[in-house]
Amino acid sequence: MTGSPTHRPAVRRAAGSFAMHLAVYILALCTVAPFLWMILTSFKDLGDIFVYPPKWLPAGLHPENYVRAFQAAPFGRFYLNSLAVALTVTAGQLVTCSMAAFAFARLRFRGRDLLFYIFLGTMMIPYHVTMIPSFMILHRLGWIDTYKALIVPGLASAFGTFLLRQFFLSIPKDLEDSAYIDGCSRFGVLWRIILPLSKPALATLAIFTFMGVFNDFIWALVVINSEEMRTVQLGLAVFRDRYVTEWDLLMAGSVTATLPILMVFFFAQKYFIKGITLSGLKE
Amino acid sequence: MKPVAENKKHRVPILSTQGFSALKFLSPTLVIFITFVLVPVFFSFILSFHKWNMFSAARSFVGLSNYSRLFRDPEFWQVLKNTLVYTLGTVPLNMGFSLAVAVLLDRRIFGKKWVRTAFFAPVVISPVAAAVIWRWMYDPNFGLFNYFLGWFRLGPVNWLNDPRSAMFALILMGVWKSFGVNMVLFSAGLQGIPESYYEAAEIDGAGKWTRFWRITVPLLSPTTFFILVMSMIGSFQVFDTVWVLTSGGPLGSTKVMVFYIYEHAFKFFEMGYASAVAYVLFAMLAFLALIQVKAMKSSVLDAT
Amino acid sequence: MRRSAAVFLVVLISILRCGKPSDQAADGRVTVVFWHSFVSSTIPALNDLIVQFENAHPGIDIKTQYVPTGDALIQKLITAVQSKTAPDISWVHANYIESLVEADAIYPMSRFIQGRNGLNAGDLADIYPALLQYASWKDTLYSMPMEATNLALLYNKTLFSQAGLDPAKPPQNWDELHGFAKKMTVDSNGDGKFDQVGFFLPVFPAAGPNGPWMVWQWFPYLWQAGGAYINDPQTEVLYNGPGGRAALALWRNLYRDLRLNAFTTDYDVAFASGRLAMVMDGPWNLPRFERLLANVDWAVAPLPAGPDRRATIVGGEYLTIFKQSANPDSAWAFLKWIIRPDVQAKWAIKSGYLPVRRAVLNDPEFQVYIQANPKYRAFVEQMEFGESQKPIDRFGLEIDRHIAEAIENACLGQKDVAEALEESAQKSNRLLQSPVGE
Repeated sequence: MTGSPTHRPAVRRAAGSFAMHLAVYILALCTVAPFLWMILTSFKDLGDIFVYPPKWLPAGLHPENYVRAFQAAPFGRFYLNSLAVALTVTAGQLVTCSMAAFAFARLRFRGRDLLFYIFLGTMMIPYHVTMIPSFMILHRLGWIDTYKALIVPGLASAFGTFLLRQFFLSIPKDLEDSAYIDGCSRFGVLWRIILPLSKPALATLAIFTFMGVFNDFIWALVVINSEEMRTVQLGLAVFRDRYVTEWDLLMAGSVTATLPILMVFFFAQKYFIKGITLSGLKE
Repeated sequence: MKPVAENKKHRVPILSTQGFSALKFLSPTLVIFITFVLVPVFFSFILSFHKWNMFSAARSFVGLSNYSRLFRDPEFWQVLKNTLVYTLGTVPLNMGFSLAVAVLLDRRIFGKKWVRTAFFAPVVISPVAAAVIWRWMYDPNFGLFNYFLGWFRLGPVNWLNDPRSAMFALILMGVWKSFGVNMVLFSAGLQGIPESYYEAAEIDGAGKWTRFWRITVPLLSPTTFFILVMSMIGSFQVFDTVWVLTSGGPLGSTKVMVFYIYEHAFKFFEMGYASAVAYVLFAMLAFLALIQVKAMKSSVLDAT
Repeated sequence: MRRSAAVFLVVLISILRCGKPSDQAADGRVTVVFWHSFVSSTIPALNDLIVQFENAHPGIDIKTQYVPTGDALIQKLITAVQSKTAPDISWVHANYIESLVEADAIYPMSRFIQGRNGLNAGDLADIYPALLQYASWKDTLYSMPMEATNLALLYNKTLFSQAGLDPAKPPQNWDELHGFAKKMTVDSNGDGKFDQVGFFLPVFPAAGPNGPWMVWQWFPYLWQAGGAYINDPQTEVLYNGPGGRAALALWRNLYRDLRLNAFTTDYDVAFASGRLAMVMDGPWNLPRFERLLANVDWAVAPLPAGPDRRATIVGGEYLTIFKQSANPDSAWAFLKWIIRPDVQAKWAIKSGYLPVRRAVLNDPEFQVYIQANPKYRAFVEQMEFGESQKPIDRFGLEIDRHIAEAIENACLGQKDVAEALEESAQKSNRLLQSPVGE
């Protein structure tokens, strides 16, 4: 801060703001470019894809790629399956993870740290070696080829518990202490004080869980056999054969699989954007 | 750190009731977790001392021989090195970039919602579709990268078929695909920092950078810890993008640990050996996580 | 919020209620579950085939279930065998048979062939021997071919003419293959980016999903040069012999000469857009290519002959019957029906696959078809010099990997051909000479 006239910092601030906007927009454009290309390609004829120099706009519009992609399999059903499974798992995880995270962040009990480290540790085992034993357990339960197989194992999550625990830890305890003094139960504290303050974290967990389940391939692959039980990702696999990729159809299918999640994200943002909730602590 | 430190005045109930209610709070998670996570994890640990082709009922106990074979296999060391290179390339880039974007988007930016959605888009695209697009972008003849390099009379670079560039290509795509996750986490973390702290600091005459280092960084530390641990786990376990983008090639230059585990399990049907490798991976990650926990505890915030 | 949750619950419950149909219907009809990985362009032909079968066998319903390709099939088979939820019939690759037999999961075909509803010796002898060899393990037949494939040379006639080559004369030997390929590889402005590539060689990362496919396409060159895979007592591999060295040298020279390491484009799209002059492919893509290659003037030729002989590789899709099947005889009825000459003829015409037996060639409908479709006919005619690699008793998967590594090392790496082959052969031999029953 020099002792310059008052308009100088204003100009500088405006220039800085302009530069920042420009930088953010360019970065965003670069990031989203492959996605835009996916959308444009989904309308292209195959011959338009491998051309030099690369052409962004399709030579002719081919919306029939979407029609053909949807005719290749009952995708409507697949969407419904994916949606039902992802929503249920998301709702379930929000409940189980916030409860478990509350215990880890706020309660003292014997073996707490050990248990927490075990939770953490299980995330460090790659899934490919636990997949078969998990499958065998599901089989014992008689759940193969059912929604239960897709939903129940996802109802608890070390990731989600860890995420919420970290967030709960950063919430000052003063508020709760006064609530306890007022005779509030622990469930009451979690429900009335911690969760409302944790909307950003809950929204984050929700979007990650939803997306993770929606995009899961390998677990759905092994537990599902019937066509009517398939999820979108299993459906899309038909366009990528061992030897050939049906570019046009894969892109059309992927766009339809991706856009709904992005829309959810677009509208759910308000839960973690400042300025709207202002910092939650003031509520 | 004072505001977040616990207030010892009102330490409420006694230990045993806390233990009991902890059980209540944990039980839904524990039931699922034990059944579908802990039991399979334990089972695969047992398997790491066996030879098993997964089809037959017979499993023969082989003691530690899976582990000793692993340390003798030169490919294992190569794969370990590749994994470390990938991790060292991805984690700092990913965290730095996602924090920068989150902080930028925490300010007044016109069209913020759209920009944030754009940054998040790569996370949502299924790995297979993303890899198909990136293969095209890396195509030496028709791809976007060489097209841009051509403007500067550079290239063409043989991105995916050259052992010198394939790992770089993989890291670039890896960061692109996953930094949106960390951006959202950082955004949520920033959201949790009360505005009043910044206001107070501003009144005290603290500059932008001072505020960033003295308020944002320390108060974000639970989030940062989480992101660091998860990013390490994620990059040590990278598989999907490798499988679809480079398939471990060329000449094994992008073959990483989980790829190695995968191929021994599902290409050669050696589940015992694959499990042993998985536990070595676990040991390394656990060690790294412990260091992070220790560093975390001593520097910033106690987990209690 | 609350209302949308309620709506969602209703939707969810209604979905959950239409659960799994049971295996056995009340009217005594049996359901045979059939896992396959046909490409999407083949599915209509498959559905047609199933309807025909069900019409001819009113007591049996075939329920086809698509399994994505790659490793998905094996992952599903492992979990299914472990949990005794295997299908009645499944596609199976020769490399899996060893493990499936050891797990006692599948029937040897002799149980059915010699059974009440068996096959006579003439029918069996009519099937191409290369197919039956590949369907066996330790000289026992464990699966039946559903269709045949082989590898031929697809080429773009227009690009031939443009390069001053006669489009009616595809390359006949290795020298011509190399020469033509070189002639049709064009980088007109010298910027290092191709305008056109003469020939595509499927060199892929050895450990990746396409590794085995690369090896599969290399085998015909091994045979064309007089090479062999393994010795008879299966104690030593032979692919590092003079034939293998010649075959790999051809690939390496082509790969380096045409700078194919800079060509990572999808070969089918490149061929469709007129940027690739020659490529090897199988007949399974013919239905798809009808649409994709509508604007290309192309033809199919046999693979060029090597220094020793003319050869191509014969493959197919093989069906096996699981011991967990509740209705193995109904499953067999499908396997048996599908190799009937008239059924094979119809199936071949619809799907683009090749018939599994010679008798089909005399089918009038089939004869009309091949006369009208010279591209398809080229594949059929090639069956006469089709060969297949003999599945080996143990370590087949590992040895295929070693060959893949040799190809990758020689084409992309610094090693010369002999060195790359020798290194792989040593690894293979160490396995083959390890004690049995480890």
